[in-house]
Amino acid sequence: MKAALKHGFMLICAAYISLPIVIVCLSALNGGRSMLFPPKDPTFARFWEFFVSEPVWLRSMENSIIVALASATLAVLITWPIAYDQWKRNTAFSRALTGLAGLPFALPPIVFGVGLSFLWTFVGGLGNIFTGILSHTALLAALPLVTISIGLQSIDRYHLDAAQTMGADEPTSLRTIILPQTLSYTLSGFFFVVVLSFHEFIVIFFVSASAYSTVTLQIFNSLRNGFTPTMAVGAITFLLVSIAVFSAVARYGDLPRLLGADPARKDN
Amino acid sequence: MSDLATASYLAQADNETRLNKTLRPPFDVVHRFSAQSIIMTTIAAILLFVFLSPILLVVAVSFGEKIEGASWVWAFDPSNYARVFVGIGWPDEITLLYAYKLGYTLAYAVLGSLIAIAFAFPFTYFLSQCSRPVQAAWLVFILASLSMSEVFIVMGWDIMLSNRSGLPALFKATGVTEWLKETGWLAVLKDWGLANPRNVKFKTSQMATVLTMAYLVWPYAVILLYAPLSRIDRSMIEAARTMGAGSFTVMRTVIVPVVRIPVMGTLLLLFVYLLGAYVTVTYFAEPAHQTLPVSIYEAIRGATLNAPFGAAQAVVLLSTAGVFIFASLWLSRLAEKRGR
Repeated sequence: MKAALKHGFMLICAAYISLPIVIVCLSALNGGRSMLFPPKDPTFARFWEFFVSEPVWLRSMENSIIVALASATLAVLITWPIAYDQWKRNTAFSRALTGLAGLPFALPPIVFGVGLSFLWTFVGGLGNIFTGILSHTALLAALPLVTISIGLQSIDRYHLDAAQTMGADEPTSLRTIILPQTLSYTLSGFFFVVVLSFHEFIVIFFVSASAYSTVTLQIFNSLRNGFTPTMAVGAITFLLVSIAVFSAVARYGDLPRLLGADPARKDN
Repeated sequence: MSDLATASYLAQADNETRLNKTLRPPFDVVHRFSAQSIIMTTIAAILLFVFLSPILLVVAVSFGEKIEGASWVWAFDPSNYARVFVGIGWPDEITLLYAYKLGYTLAYAVLGSLIAIAFAFPFTYFLSQCSRPVQAAWLVFILASLSMSEVFIVMGWDIMLSNRSGLPALFKATGVTEWLKETGWLAVLKDWGLANPRNVKFKTSQMATVLTMAYLVWPYAVILLYAPLSRIDRSMIEAARTMGAGSFTVMRTVIVPVVRIPVMGTLLLLFVYLLGAYVTVTYFAEPAHQTLPVSIYEAIRGATLNAPFGAAQAVVLLSTAGVFIFASLWLSRLAEKRGR
């Protein structure tokens, strides 16, 4: 009885969370130009429009992918040394860097977006996709920083001691022990950035200055004409990417551990 | 000197050189040290430039002075802040337009985060009792919904709440609207701004704004509460149960005291996140009930084009967030101290 109540509550929450998402996805099937639910004259024509016949969507999809992959790569490259230095030496300098790297994520994104738009206005490059990439790197760097730090902490110290006893210097143990053991955590951080960058709106809204658009921006820009079913195809695509990415993280990494569950309680 | 002594002497010398080798930094270590410091300095420079300077720029620009009909110049002009709190005509007259916007910003964020926590807490507690693979599956679901852009979520809620399709149409089709009319509830809903004379109307309304905000942060709430809730010592719960405590007593005496501080911390983080909500407010709140982020956008990129004033509003929002972030840091420190 109690278990049924519990599961019932969890399922109601799940239904509540999935409802708007499901509705958006189903609306993609609408035959007409307006978003109706339940969909009228269901058709897959919108998918054709999104991926083939309307180049504006394809171009914004391309921008989304470029920004997401590039900013995730940069974020990992910047945060790896920070996390490593903090784990290895834990100096005041490394602690300051860690705090600084996590700072943008802790602010209301609109404030950081405003600041970035000032920065790129002054130094040039507002509306250039490269500044968009740097902006997302700064906004989302906190994620790989956290996952990599968790990864470093979960390295077995005995392996390091053993390597040292056998004469391995720092680069050797970095290459043979630390990097392989933290790979799944690094990749998780990478993919967290990819997914959140895909969906991020407000910062890219400010720094793109309408010079280019990602899919989320394109959807927001088209809002003036109301929602159209073609946008919903974008939502479906993004949702599928997110589910695929997080399933992969769960499959190859320890998702509960990444999110802070007690590592000792693996068996329950 | 005998051969044995020579051998032992040589061995000792060999040992010493080895010792020296390990003590003296060999050439490659020196080399690597400098490479490492180059990397760390570069990273520090990037952090200062892209991570920190935008925030400092917002503060600096907020003191700038707007030139009518043109851009703005650097200045040290606190009048932008006065305008946020008491209006442009101060001290002759006081307009609270932006103070109200700040008020709405705070009210939506507080309500949204409270509602999200109220539903996320029991959910996460039950989740933490599931088996590890089940937990992982749920977490994939939560993360996927968490990563949904605000734009997509607003799109979904817009369809659900719009008058042509969605809940009002459903109410009408199932006869709920008729029933509401007959019982007089429609008039009450109209007073609350949730109905027009013909049917219920959820868009635009403050309720839709707050509920969409709560929806927006619900997955965040689960993720943030997941760590403390899944680390609760199960033996304590079992001990309480053995001694005859019911579920409610266990919740009150074991679980709540342990997670009280993380819950407060989560609440603050959600609140800070919601302070910056933009799409939801532009879409679901009527212009008179809109928030600071909307007018920040208007000032910086939109219709009014007054960057210093926009920056001043951003600083007000930032300081509000800052106060709460420090509070949450302080709370988590407190929690750590207690944990020891």
